[in-house]
Amino acid sequence: MQPEKFYYDNKIVRDFGIATVLWGIIGMTVGLIAAIQLYHPGANMHNQYTTFGRIRPLHTNAVIFAFVGNAIFMGVYYSLQRLLKARMFSDVLSKIHFWGWQLIIVSAVITLPLGLTTSHEYAELEWPIDIAITIIWVVFGFNMFGTIFKRRERHLYVAIWFYIATFVTIAVLHIVNSFELPVSAFKSYMVYAGVQDALVQWWYGHNAVAFFLTTPYLGMMYYFLPKMANRPVYSYKLSILHFWALIFIYIWAGPHHLLYTTLPGWAQSLGVAFSIMLIAPSWGGMINGLLTLRGAWDKVRDDVILKFMVVALTAYGMATFEGPMLSLKQINSIAHFSDWIIAHVHVGALGWNGFLTFAVLYWLIPRIYKTELFSKKLASFHFWIGTLGIIFYAVPMYWAGFTQSLMLKEFTPEGMLKYPNFLETTLQILPMHVMRSVGGAMYLLGVIVMAYNLLRTAKQGSLVANEAAQAMPLEPVHTIARESAWHRRLERKPIQLMVAALFVILIGTFIELMPTLTISSNIPTIASVKPYSSLELQGRDLYIREGCSNCHSQTVRPFRSETERYGEYSKAGEFVYDHPFLWGSKRTGPDLARIGGKYGNAWHYNHLMDPRLMSPGSIMPEYSWLLTQNLDTTTTRAKIHAMRTLGVPYPVGYENQANADLDEQAKAIAADLAKDHIKVKSNKEVIAIIAYLQRMGMDIKANKTTK
Amino acid sequence: MFKQFTENISGNQAYLLFSLCIFLLFFIVVTIMLIRIRKPHIDHMSDMPLHDSQPDLSNSSKQ
Repeated sequence: MQPEKFYYDNKIVRDFGIATVLWGIIGMTVGLIAAIQLYHPGANMHNQYTTFGRIRPLHTNAVIFAFVGNAIFMGVYYSLQRLLKARMFSDVLSKIHFWGWQLIIVSAVITLPLGLTTSHEYAELEWPIDIAITIIWVVFGFNMFGTIFKRRERHLYVAIWFYIATFVTIAVLHIVNSFELPVSAFKSYMVYAGVQDALVQWWYGHNAVAFFLTTPYLGMMYYFLPKMANRPVYSYKLSILHFWALIFIYIWAGPHHLLYTTLPGWAQSLGVAFSIMLIAPSWGGMINGLLTLRGAWDKVRDDVILKFMVVALTAYGMATFEGPMLSLKQINSIAHFSDWIIAHVHVGALGWNGFLTFAVLYWLIPRIYKTELFSKKLASFHFWIGTLGIIFYAVPMYWAGFTQSLMLKEFTPEGMLKYPNFLETTLQILPMHVMRSVGGAMYLLGVIVMAYNLLRTAKQGSLVANEAAQAMPLEPVHTIARESAWHRRLERKPIQLMVAALFVILIGTFIELMPTLTISSNIPTIASVKPYSSLELQGRDLYIREGCSNCHSQTVRPFRSETERYGEYSKAGEFVYDHPFLWGSKRTGPDLARIGGKYGNAWHYNHLMDPRLMSPGSIMPEYSWLLTQNLDTTTTRAKIHAMRTLGVPYPVGYENQANADLDEQAKAIAADLAKDHIKVKSNKEVIAIIAYLQRMGMDIKANKTTK
Repeated sequence: MFKQFTENISGNQAYLLFSLCIFLLFFIVVTIMLIRIRKPHIDHMSDMPLHDSQPDLSNSSKQ
């Protein structure tokens, strides 16, 4: 048999590399602007499109799906071709994949500042973009499996299993978490409500971390680290064990995001148990990576790329030890809703994803341009400013998290809350927030220096767009001896491998999701909980548009420090009409689940106009545009209809009356405001959002009987 | 500290036991698979990333 000649496609790798750096800088800059707004609210430039609630989702989407996403595709397209000894299946599909993904990102950059959001964290994009994501993801999968089928290497290296598991699991997560009923071109309601919606969201959210930020990066680590260190991975058997254990266990752990909420207790316990178990496979990966450098530690001193890898693996180890600890109920009760979580995710994102991406870029760009790195000194500068940036970011955030949580929980000897005003605790941690943004700026500066360094590298070399290679074609399967080991057989059967991975992740998914989604006794109903009025529903959608849930939770946990501060703890039955749920995951401001009736309409009006009028020192942005913009009531009909389709008991034909009811309630609120000498027309957006705020928690206050 | 977790488990304990059993079973199956893999194959697999590049780039087309 003659060896076959073929060419690796380096151009697509380069393109994804450029996109990685470009979106990385944009996403991190948006993050920095958001961070500055948390101590200087005026940094929103007094503009609704650049206000925290709208750009925080832009930051998370940009760094996860644009920066990390493009880096994944760069790493996969480079390593997959070489591990399979084949060019990508189709250049056309590669191009569709590349441009389709960039188009999705651009649509996110446009729609999120416009306030078009589902409010599901890391899945904020509205339904037409969800469909586009599905199509492009299938294109990627088709291209990947096409390449696998025409491979010249019989067995699939462990990196490729990680890519296959990533592909199949992200597909399942995305589809299940995107069951939305469209109301208009860019507005939809989640099919699930309340507790069920929360469970689906955090099953998704947690596993997006697992299968977008972890498994593809582990795959890249297993390919690029041996190449960088020029030695095989420490233990291939460990890589197999930790692959299967990781994908099996991760999928169960989502409920640890919902501890002390109204999620059934058994589901919370299950989430905690599997989170603790996660330490083993996660550290299996970290140890395997670090031990690959055994005998090569002298190289780490000189080689900046290996330095990046060591910090990346260390950050991965720290974040994956901390994660299970945070899922312990006692620790979670302090850490959840606080800046501690922000520190935790950024150790993972800046350290693990960021630094591994930088290492791969520094290794790969000179190779595909057939040259040396332009400046090792600049790369070294990047390493140090980046590492310091992570420390300056994380340490103040940990400090802020502990401080604020402990203050919120502190009682006087008389048994009263020591800091009854939430704002007092916020003011205490502002210096930490300033330091955090300095850390973030340092990290961003490093990335800009890297961009310059890589650009100069590319300029001094020339791109090997099609890299020549040769390999023997595969013999037909029937000519090789039957392999006795199961796993060895599995390694040459990509479809079976994908099905096995799918089966493994579906076990945890079914056991965890099905009972809460199907057994009604898990969600005891409350007779006094009624659907929102048409004005309140419109107000709720404004609350979603402005991204209020990025800073305000809507779930009171059963702690005395919370029931004293906010009122009765939340019940599952309160949320049965909430499509989507709006519990939030962070309390930059106080919880709002029981805000209804606490203040008058005039207080809310003035507070939305300028929060510092009512709460001096507040860091909440001004929502002055709500005072001038007219409420769009043309959508009321479609919204009521959609809600009834989803099971909210509006009477048949209520659509026809909904806007009349809306007007009546709006006029009553405007009249009440007029008593406080506030002149505002009843058709302004602020009226609707006040109606919603005044409704929250009122059902429980009105009637405490449950059935 | 752990006493609190066992006491706090409300509702369906069968679920937790069932999940633990599934996990143990799964773990044992993967371990058996690992034991059955031979050393030469492991060496071949772990060397894969190191033997994939071609030293000869002279035929490569440039952009």
